[in-house]
Amino acid sequence: MLNLPRWQVIGIIAVTLLAALFALPNLLPGSVLDKLPGWYQQSRINLGLDLRGGAHFLLEADLRSVLNERLTNLSDSVRGELRKQQVGFKDVTVQSGASVTVVLREEAQRAKAIEGIRSLDPSLQVSGVGDTIQLAFSNVDLVRKKKEVIDQSIEILRRRVDETGTIEPTIVRQGDDRILLQVPGIKDTTDLKRKINQTAKLTFHLVNEDVAQTGQNIPPTLPPTTFLAPTREGMQALRAANPKAYEDILSANPRLTPEQVCRRYQPPCLPVFKRVVVGGEDLDDAKATFDQQQGSRPIISFTFNSAGGRAFCAATRANIGKRLAIQLDNEIISAPVVQSAICGGSGIITGQFTTQQTQEQALLLRSGALPATLSIIEERTVGADLGADAIRAGTVAAVVGTALVILFMLFVYGPVFGGFASIAMMVNMLLVFAGMSLLGASLTLPGIAGLVLTVGMSVDSNVLIYERVREEKANGRSPFSALATGYERALTAVIDSNLTALIAGVLLFGMGSGPIKGFATSLTLGLLTHLFTATVFTRMLLAVWVRWRRPTELPV
Amino acid sequence: MLWKPHHLIRHRTSFDFLGKRKIALILSTAINVLSLVGVFVLGLNFGIDFEGGIAIQVRAKQGDIHLEQLRSTVGNLGLGEVSLQEFGDSRSALIRVQRQEGNAQCVVHADQVMKRRAGPGWAVKPGPANSGDIEFTAPGALDPVGWRDAVSRVGLTIQERQLPRGATNTAKIDMTLEQRAEWCQQVAIKVVEDAISGQYELRGTESVGPKIGDELMHSGIWAVIATLAAIAIYVWVRFEWQFGVGALIALLHDVISTIGLFVVFHLDFSLTALAALMTIAGYSINDTVVIFDRVRENMRRYKKMGLIELLNFSINETLARTLMTSGTVFVAVLALVLFGGPVLYSFSIAMLWGVIVGTYSSIWIASATLVYLNLRPEQIRGKEDEAAAKAKA
Repeated sequence: MLNLPRWQVIGIIAVTLLAALFALPNLLPGSVLDKLPGWYQQSRINLGLDLRGGAHFLLEADLRSVLNERLTNLSDSVRGELRKQQVGFKDVTVQSGASVTVVLREEAQRAKAIEGIRSLDPSLQVSGVGDTIQLAFSNVDLVRKKKEVIDQSIEILRRRVDETGTIEPTIVRQGDDRILLQVPGIKDTTDLKRKINQTAKLTFHLVNEDVAQTGQNIPPTLPPTTFLAPTREGMQALRAANPKAYEDILSANPRLTPEQVCRRYQPPCLPVFKRVVVGGEDLDDAKATFDQQQGSRPIISFTFNSAGGRAFCAATRANIGKRLAIQLDNEIISAPVVQSAICGGSGIITGQFTTQQTQEQALLLRSGALPATLSIIEERTVGADLGADAIRAGTVAAVVGTALVILFMLFVYGPVFGGFASIAMMVNMLLVFAGMSLLGASLTLPGIAGLVLTVGMSVDSNVLIYERVREEKANGRSPFSALATGYERALTAVIDSNLTALIAGVLLFGMGSGPIKGFATSLTLGLLTHLFTATVFTRMLLAVWVRWRRPTELPV
Repeated sequence: MLWKPHHLIRHRTSFDFLGKRKIALILSTAINVLSLVGVFVLGLNFGIDFEGGIAIQVRAKQGDIHLEQLRSTVGNLGLGEVSLQEFGDSRSALIRVQRQEGNAQCVVHADQVMKRRAGPGWAVKPGPANSGDIEFTAPGALDPVGWRDAVSRVGLTIQERQLPRGATNTAKIDMTLEQRAEWCQQVAIKVVEDAISGQYELRGTESVGPKIGDELMHSGIWAVIATLAAIAIYVWVRFEWQFGVGALIALLHDVISTIGLFVVFHLDFSLTALAALMTIAGYSINDTVVIFDRVRENMRRYKKMGLIELLNFSINETLARTLMTSGTVFVAVLALVLFGGPVLYSFSIAMLWGVIVGTYSSIWIASATLVYLNLRPEQIRGKEDEAAAKAKA
């Protein structure tokens, strides 16, 4: 067992050096790090919010209201459809959170009614008994919508919280209906809530075609009902041609109005009426699809809620042939021509679009309003100075803990064996750091506690081995054989004890949130890497030492 | 002397551990029963992780903190039960306020916060009973942008649709009772902040709503049970069922007596405490497994030895290992207790205790259980002989 083939020794040393390489960026100062390649720079452990300071929010989306709203919309369109099909009905009611119930005047018309309802949305689950029809969304549809609501909320949160692109918030889905939002470096959460609550800046305006007909991009005077707004393409062209100007527009304080942008920087603009036809908060959905009739052209379809649908219907009916500008964040993202009155809550936007363009436009349309109410169900904020205190305490505890363990091992097992155990423990720490860097894991204060525990536990295996060697030595075995048998016999206990601790670590990781996850990560990782240092690395040290010193007496 | 190895205990000890199993049994039963009684009578000092509520770390802007004064200031805010403790040093404290229910009182608080922060012209009133609705009144007409800023001041996050269209001076926000209860934690933070921010610096705040609290409690209890069960099953598969039961009883002993420690010292029982319990379970089983491993080995080697003699012999043989492995973790955890800071304090104390009690239970409780379960060495030897015979054939 102590005859280690050369390739194994080389392998072990290679793993150790590689670990050192990946753990190194954590120790390098920023100035040195900047000169190294990007992939290598990223091999760093992130500090958790409890150490660097910041705010942690757990938001819960009110999916039930979203479902009820959809059911209400469905009941509206069912009523419209039944009227169109000339099917008499007594009542169309919404069962909160479940389904829509239709009660017909005549049982005989049930088949016709069901056919009509199916044509609205083929994926609906429709069942009918007597004069009553029940309709509900299919499970596939419900799951898809849930995912959509959360994804869209995440996208919107990102836009709002990280307007400038410098805050680097973590925004991830958690479970079915929750979103975890972590923003490093902030302490005032009122400001963050203001950002979450930020205005929906999506609005629909009619284009003032009288002004537009004059052909001037920037007319010197405008009627008081009208203002100028730059088009999105125009702004992107400006950004490409004159990045400095674009920067100025973004950073201007107070923010420039769209008209000021037009007059000052003269991008392509459109004159639109100030009156808002309908706002983004009434837009239920927008998605990129294909036109079935006209050779599958990419188009954008959208749906309003009932209030928005009515307003949109009235405005389109009165303005056929005119353009309707859609303004998002002070830019006009599109201004399609009204082809016909759009009533019944849904419509399409056609044009010379590529699929990619329609997808982008649909996303822009959706980013106007949060699709569901997000309630804060957990909030934790840590000031930067408190984080600094925690780092200080954690570092001192880790250094003192490591030193105590090393002294203890040196005292009990002497410089050679105690030294080997200490080296193995340090290599284990190196592996943990490398692992956490590669995984991009966060180091939290409980995570530091996990590391300190790992320090204590990772010398355990050496203890198990050494004590067994002492026993075998006392039983009168030669140094070489005492080492070999001691090592071999201790191995099952080493693996057993690691596995049981791993069970606890993995379960902790499963239940843990936030800081506890940090503890579970460092502990679990420590135990895993420890399996390597305890079984392979320590063995190599002993084997090399025995071959080199050929001891007649084991100093253990 | 550092440069020579030291034997902490003499090589072959022969303590009669199991001879004292009755004393150990009485002692352990007493500790465990008292721990459980303590939990039910005195109760655990649950942190906000499980009960919901708010916790604020504060530091006096000048001089030391006056706990009594601070207690009466925060206690008189009408937020319900308040607890204070010094946290870390004499300038700092941790304020804990019970979970806020989404009742009318919370809307009154929101009204006061709004008046203080936005001006006397503002008002917040509850909507109809049975709903969580609230109604904001502004001194003048506001557009949606103005409303969003306004509701953010009392920590409310809303969806665009909940706000009025056009310019109005009242906004009725419809919410469910559950949503309002979650929001009321935010209101409570503002109330405390307004009352003490003159003299104290708020260094960190935490709020846990009723929903999360309940969930964490549930998942926490299940996680501990799952850990104990998984470890017991592991031991059962690796050894015999008697060993599995012995391990389980030893683990229960460790976990329950650690909970008792939390009761006695009124330590904060939070998520990190739960992490401590699970880690203790995962760790204290190590010594037990080492002893069991040796017991099984010796059963094969000394065929004529009786069970008690065999157990005593095995425990003595592994005593140095048991004490050493606990010793290394003990010194590491000791560093955490002494230097880890106030946040980790409860966790570290629990771990320290867990290491000690885990070692004790491995020696006495786990092995004594084997005696009481009438483990017969012949039974195991018989099985192994059979297996060996089969393997040969």
